[in-house]
Amino acid sequence: MEKNHRRRKGKPYGNIKPKNYRAIYEEKFYDVLLQLRYPLMTIIFFTTLGILMLMIINQKSDGKSVLNYFFHTIITFSTVGYTEGYDTEHLEINRLFTSIFIIVTLPLVYMYGLVSIVNVFMNGNIEEIYRYWRMYKRMEKLNGHYIICHFNEITKELMKQLKKRKVKFVLIEPNPDKEKEIRDFGVEFYVIDEPYKRDVLLGVGLENARGLVTAFEENTQDIAVIVTARLIRPDKENFYIVATATNEESAEKMKLLGANEVIIPSFTVGRRIASFIFHKPTPILDRFLERIAYGEKTDIDLIEVAIDKDSELANKKLKEIKLPQQTGTTVVAIVKNDGRMKISPSGDTTVSEGDHLILLGHPKALKRAEEFIKKHQIEKTEV
Amino acid sequence: MIKWSKVWSDFFIFLALTSNVGFIFSGDPYQLIIAVGVNLIATVLKFGAKKILSAELLATALVADLHLIPATILYFTETHVHLAVGLAIGAAVANAISIIMLIIEIIFEYSKEEDY
Repeated sequence: MEKNHRRRKGKPYGNIKPKNYRAIYEEKFYDVLLQLRYPLMTIIFFTTLGILMLMIINQKSDGKSVLNYFFHTIITFSTVGYTEGYDTEHLEINRLFTSIFIIVTLPLVYMYGLVSIVNVFMNGNIEEIYRYWRMYKRMEKLNGHYIICHFNEITKELMKQLKKRKVKFVLIEPNPDKEKEIRDFGVEFYVIDEPYKRDVLLGVGLENARGLVTAFEENTQDIAVIVTARLIRPDKENFYIVATATNEESAEKMKLLGANEVIIPSFTVGRRIASFIFHKPTPILDRFLERIAYGEKTDIDLIEVAIDKDSELANKKLKEIKLPQQTGTTVVAIVKNDGRMKISPSGDTTVSEGDHLILLGHPKALKRAEEFIKKHQIEKTEV
Repeated sequence: MIKWSKVWSDFFIFLALTSNVGFIFSGDPYQLIIAVGVNLIATVLKFGAKKILSAELLATALVADLHLIPATILYFTETHVHLAVGLAIGAAVANAISIIMLIIEIIFEYSKEEDY
């Protein structure tokens, strides 16, 4: 009893076993085999009975006779109707037995037994079962993948992008009617199941996943998924959750409940349209912004770095820090502690503690900048 | 409530052993035919049993079959009757093991029921 108690207490999200999708299809295959039990049993039983009865009637148990009786039984079932291939003194009783035997066993063995076996193989969906089994077997090996909940236009676009960059993902869709569409879309790994269940999320490898995207039309479903996923992976740093919401209130709630980022599609689209109206799009500028935001093989990116309290860089002027010379990045803006933003600061601008610098540059340069700022932080604390 | 499917399969598993032992002691051809038939049925009934030890049970049943079928051929060709009996003894051992495993499975199943 105590042991049980301990086992249940083991994990913070409860004693839930991951749903094993591969095993489900393995079991389906065994179910097909299971259907063979009674037809096969019928065939074996009547074959044995036929041989035994013929041995008893003829009072013969030598090898040659037994083989003949076996042969006779088989040709009876198969309705081949071969003449008795054995010498016998009791022809009448043999014929009587065989007649009755055929009447009883023909429907049972031939019609039921053999036809059922053929039927099992024709309708058992063995090919289908094998396809699922193979998919889930490969899914078990995934590591560092993303989990995407719900199949709709938003996630379709997302999956296209992930595919382009060869990022593995598993799709969870609760509606079984969409399966054909999902398969036609070419999704490599998918599960038709409820994504807010713990065993389902564990079953698609949430514990090894890098992140989760949930994009339901209903906010409540998104919230259920976020909460469940956060319960299993409480670390916000190592497990990234992105969700969509229909309004700001829900978006805020989702963030409080554990989503790293929440996007309100209508807001995003609206703002984008507004930006087209206010800034007449020029092809070059447009491409530049697109490259930063959705860039394929990005060679330019934006990051945000914080100047901590212990940093050496605090209370220094930008030209003293020499970030462009040291790292090759440009300081685009400084976000002050109170949220004010200073766009394109001059070299005389002083950086104070708690400020956030927004840097633009090549991804490699940005990495250098991050290390540069971290280095100054560590040196100070060590001294 | 008795599960009749379980009665069926257990019945044939036990009968496989008893008919086998019967043949070993009587050396009678009728008994051998019965033993082969019953063993084959016992094998078929172990298909697809989704329980613990189901793989082991099926394996022992296949071992018994692969002993008895050659034994039947040897016995009726009257070449090596002694060897046929020896093979039947081997099959009986496999049958006995399968019964032991059946008992272990029953115990496990009861303890599992208590868990819930």
